[in-house]
Amino acid sequence: MADLLGFVSAQFLVSVLVYAVIVHVLLAGAGYFTYLERKISAYIQDRVGPNRTGFDLGLPFLGFLKGLWGLGQPLADGIKFMLKEDYTPGKVDKVLFTLAPGIVVIPALIGFAVIPWGGVWDCPSFTIPLLNLHVAGGPVQIAALPVNVGVIYMVAVTSLGVYGITLGGWASNNKYSFLGGLRATAQMLAYELPLGISLLVVLLMVGSLLPMDIIRYQEANGWLLLSQPIAAIIFFIAMLAEANRVPFDNAEAESELVGGYHTEYNSMRFALFFLAEYSHLAVSSAFFVLLFMGGFQLLPFINDPLTATGATGLLAVLAKLGVYFGKVLFMVLVIMLVRWTVPRLRYDQVMSTAWQGLIPLSLVVLIATSVAVFFGLPQGFSHVLLLFGGNLVLFVVLWYVVGRLPAYNPNRKIPLLGSRFYPLPGERVDHAPSDPMAREDRPYEGALPTA
Amino acid sequence: MLLGVTDPVAYLPLAVILMAAIGFSVMNLVLTRILGPNRAGETKALTYESGMEAVGTARKRFNVRFYLIAMVFLVFDVEVVFLYPWAATFANLEVGSDDRLLWLARILFFLFTTIVAFLYGLRKGVFRFD
Repeated sequence: MADLLGFVSAQFLVSVLVYAVIVHVLLAGAGYFTYLERKISAYIQDRVGPNRTGFDLGLPFLGFLKGLWGLGQPLADGIKFMLKEDYTPGKVDKVLFTLAPGIVVIPALIGFAVIPWGGVWDCPSFTIPLLNLHVAGGPVQIAALPVNVGVIYMVAVTSLGVYGITLGGWASNNKYSFLGGLRATAQMLAYELPLGISLLVVLLMVGSLLPMDIIRYQEANGWLLLSQPIAAIIFFIAMLAEANRVPFDNAEAESELVGGYHTEYNSMRFALFFLAEYSHLAVSSAFFVLLFMGGFQLLPFINDPLTATGATGLLAVLAKLGVYFGKVLFMVLVIMLVRWTVPRLRYDQVMSTAWQGLIPLSLVVLIATSVAVFFGLPQGFSHVLLLFGGNLVLFVVLWYVVGRLPAYNPNRKIPLLGSRFYPLPGERVDHAPSDPMAREDRPYEGALPTA
Repeated sequence: MLLGVTDPVAYLPLAVILMAAIGFSVMNLVLTRILGPNRAGETKALTYESGMEAVGTARKRFNVRFYLIAMVFLVFDVEVVFLYPWAATFANLEVGSDDRLLWLARILFFLFTTIVAFLYGLRKGVFRFD
């Protein structure tokens, strides 16, 4: 028996345990993110939000669990989704229609595996009683998949999410779904590039693909949010777009496309799309924290004994987990506040932001960083000062240069008779409208206005 | 160096993780099929297009811009993938060595070719979506 289980090491057991814990936290968290989102939107829009569903399950002897600020709402929603009819409309592609929500949820549940939530734990040796298996102790990572290609894994898995959405939109055989899926695909492809390039900036500074090394680097040289603010902002924006969040939620723009790619879905298959979306939110926030906010380190430049990478005690691991979860929750809150504050972009604005804005900008930051790395960077606090200053200079120069480039304006003002753009500022009103669109719109109003 | 970071045994948890994730999604799809009611109907089976009867199917030709975006994405994404190994090793080369200069110059040339491709696409209007 002990021979068969030869692959079992302390790291393997800890990895499986960490995955089991995190996946439950994530799924429960995804449920409660919907609650949080509804509460936040309610406070912003001066409503109350969910406030009635408790945990009493309708049973009289559990009456003291009634109400509870609506905390039972996610549970009730989950049960309701599960018990609803799982209906497949007539004209859909039945296999792909069922497969799509299953595919979309898998990357969301495996993407976070490489994140080192609690740093390193000095595991003692122990024996598993029934199998009589002795497991040697040693330092183990509190991560589900502690491999040295961590960052590549993360990029690979998170970009898999696009398949489910594309398939779901196509299989529905509904024009709204199709357009939503098409838009989502193009948008996620476009924003994957600035995401990947700003990630490259981080890798270039750190010089390693191992997530723990990224945290160690930030412990020594300050958070990358401070030394690479432009890359951090690009990563954050691209992250929002990858998660199909407002202001980039054109894939499910309700005023244009009903529900987008999940218009035809119902019951748990619909819920899986939402589960994936909210897990994706938490996972990409966790990646942002890993890459730019120092992972489990409490404050930049202050190496407190509990959350330093060198601390390997059980208490340190718990403290790091707490700090990491706190930071992820903070990022999720920021994203939710963005959702209820910023209006949705038009689709052509979404695409031109990516292709004509973020991608060239991230390329410039990449080239500037590679030149800076070539000359060698100082350590410690001067590192942050130098790079922050460099970013600031780069930003000002780009602001100046880009403002003077010839730009194409997609919101061209057409002088339609009677519209609020007529006459245009600086235009003399002594002729009939010259634009053919204006004539087409009102063919009999060629006469001059008397003003 | 940490235990199990570089050897292939470190990838073993991935099997467990994948099984758990696939199991979760299959379980949900099966359970909701079993637990929910099941009634068919002619009107119920219609495609939902805001209450109107659907005209034709959604399997139609769509705008060629999406195809262009996919093509351009391939160019850029392959480039970004090529840059990962470079980025992970470049910072570890000795400062001031000839290798470092060579690596920088090569990658700047590589990026230059991409920028030329980008500018070509920009002038051709590939990135305009209005």
